[in-house]
Amino acid sequence: MLQAHYFDGRSTRLREVSLSIDGTDLIVVGEALDIRLPFADVKVDERLGRAPRRLRFNDGTFCEVRDLHALDALLSSVGHHDRWVDRLQRHVQFVLFSCLACVLLAAAGYRWMLPWAAAKAAQHLPPAMVRELSVHTLNLLDGAILKPTKIAAERQLALSTKFQALRLPEGGNPNSSLLFRLSPQLGANAFTLPDGDIILLDDLITLLGDDEQILAVLAHELAHVRGRDGLQLLLRSSAVGAFWTFYVGDISALLAAAPAAVVQAKYSQDLEQQADDYAAALLRYNGMSPALLAEALKKLAQSKPGSAKSGYLSSHPSTDERMRHLRILAAH
Amino acid sequence: MENAAQSASPQPVPHPLQPLRFNGNGAEYFGIWIVNLLLTIVTLGIYSAWAKVRRLQYFYRHTELAGSSFDFHGSPIRILIGRLIALAMLLAYNVSVRLQSRMILVVVLALAVVMPWLLRNSFRFRLYNTSWRGTRFHFRGSVGGSYRVFLLNGFLALITLYVMAPFMHQRLKQYQHENSWLGRTQCSFHARAGQFYAIYLLLFVAMVGFFILISVTGIGHAFTAVAQMQKQGGHVDTSLVFRTFLILYGTLILIGLVVGPIFHALVTNLIWSNTRIGEHRIECRMSPPALIWITVSNFILVIFTLGLFIPWAAVRLAKFQLESVRLLPASDLQEFEAAEPENIGAVGEEAATVFDFDISL
Repeated sequence: MLQAHYFDGRSTRLREVSLSIDGTDLIVVGEALDIRLPFADVKVDERLGRAPRRLRFNDGTFCEVRDLHALDALLSSVGHHDRWVDRLQRHVQFVLFSCLACVLLAAAGYRWMLPWAAAKAAQHLPPAMVRELSVHTLNLLDGAILKPTKIAAERQLALSTKFQALRLPEGGNPNSSLLFRLSPQLGANAFTLPDGDIILLDDLITLLGDDEQILAVLAHELAHVRGRDGLQLLLRSSAVGAFWTFYVGDISALLAAAPAAVVQAKYSQDLEQQADDYAAALLRYNGMSPALLAEALKKLAQSKPGSAKSGYLSSHPSTDERMRHLRILAAH
Repeated sequence: MENAAQSASPQPVPHPLQPLRFNGNGAEYFGIWIVNLLLTIVTLGIYSAWAKVRRLQYFYRHTELAGSSFDFHGSPIRILIGRLIALAMLLAYNVSVRLQSRMILVVVLALAVVMPWLLRNSFRFRLYNTSWRGTRFHFRGSVGGSYRVFLLNGFLALITLYVMAPFMHQRLKQYQHENSWLGRTQCSFHARAGQFYAIYLLLFVAMVGFFILISVTGIGHAFTAVAQMQKQGGHVDTSLVFRTFLILYGTLILIGLVVGPIFHALVTNLIWSNTRIGEHRIECRMSPPALIWITVSNFILVIFTLGLFIPWAAVRLAKFQLESVRLLPASDLQEFEAAEPENIGAVGEEAATVFDFDISL
């Protein structure tokens, strides 16, 4: 005998009933009630913690049962099995496994799936959209941390001309424009906008001095342009932002992300290595030595560490390694 | 308890107060939460609709009134479809905002036109799929009413620089609650706009107090110092910048954890204590200090457990909020009759969850 509350589905009238099993039939007996029906026609709610469970009948009536242990006994006597999710939710080992699995999957998604999706998306984003994104980003940067350049117009023109005259190993000339800016906060730095235009900061020009070394750094940036690396990074940070927005519900935090992501672009070691390789190939193709980039990196590393001047390196990891690699390339 | 008031005497007999009870348990809910989270990740989010139904069922079924629990009947498939539509809208909104293009106007306009309809559908879906003792709730608000409440009043609030916001809030709750039914019994709403203004005024004073506090304690000075340094183009003292940001975020978090809960408690008390289901009155007495304590401690614990505390936090908050509500019945609660079945989609509800427009409970 199992005590339950019976409801007719048409009103809130509560009737005390008792449930029992006779063979494969369920018997419901109570105030003006005497029902007998095959248990196969009864839908049993899944277990959710210690919430009352309902036995639902086809005509919309149901019984609400609070004594879960007695119900378990009744259910097992007719061979009813809980659903698999139901059992997993109560299985301590599986719950612990889920904790671990969630963390690992989240990490794996961040490490592999996100870059893969960003790379795909970066290649297929409409050019008009990329262009607009770049204009928007540059406008925001110009208002905040970028100032008009102090480099003389002739020097700018000379650098731009040399840059545009570079021949790319895959054919053609750079499709990017050079944008000259001054930034006390970012120091000696160069970075790429989503559409491929390269922002070259005054401190980098004055620090390196030598045009060929500047071109070597630009060759490295051209590798990022070619792979649309900046756009990929931006998409990735947007996806992470969108994820948090979904859970935390703050859209405004996302809006600030784009300019920050462009300036602080921290590419992976692999990506940097590939970019160095491309730069070396490009330099060689144009009759220059890959050692130029190594020289440029050395100068950047020697400028007082921790000061704003080392900005370019702080966003590009493990300089020693890269210089060694470039010198090997130059020696060949 | 449920049979305590079965007297058939013609004289009105006082019926016992019926507090809402919530019997959920954090550890129990943790198992359900994490397993469903894993299934959601493994199915690339598709299972989230089933997880949501299970979550709502967990909370509804552990909520008890007069010895009977509530139930949620929403179908996961409907919720999944709703989620997809909501996601598309969120994407359109985000892309247009990020690009700051002319498209943003079109998108925002389109959202403004669709939103009231979606919100109305979301109320319908939520209420229709909620039941107590086998009798479903219903929302019968008209589409026109929804446009008046959201678009017209929203526009009024905007052009009056939100002076009309409390009025809009009152009208919204009126629209929601007066169109709610338990079976064939209609709810009524009795809070006046003036009462909303009183709470908003208090909130306003609290915010002004906060800002005065900020300027008095010299935080404003730190800001100008940083701005000054940047203007001169020299090096910025990073520790000063760090401190400034710490104070800025600290202030924002403090507002969210203190002013927010006070406002929420006061408004929720006002709304529910002025809602009746037929002849049955509701009383809501949520204590603001207690809500602050729960919000703050939940916030800290969720952060320090990297989110693992979320199930306990949700259960604690639900228990506190639900158990501050009680029903003052005018009868033995046996007489509510069910209405005809209806067919309602989940699109509105999902879109509304994503855009987070629900201002209260």
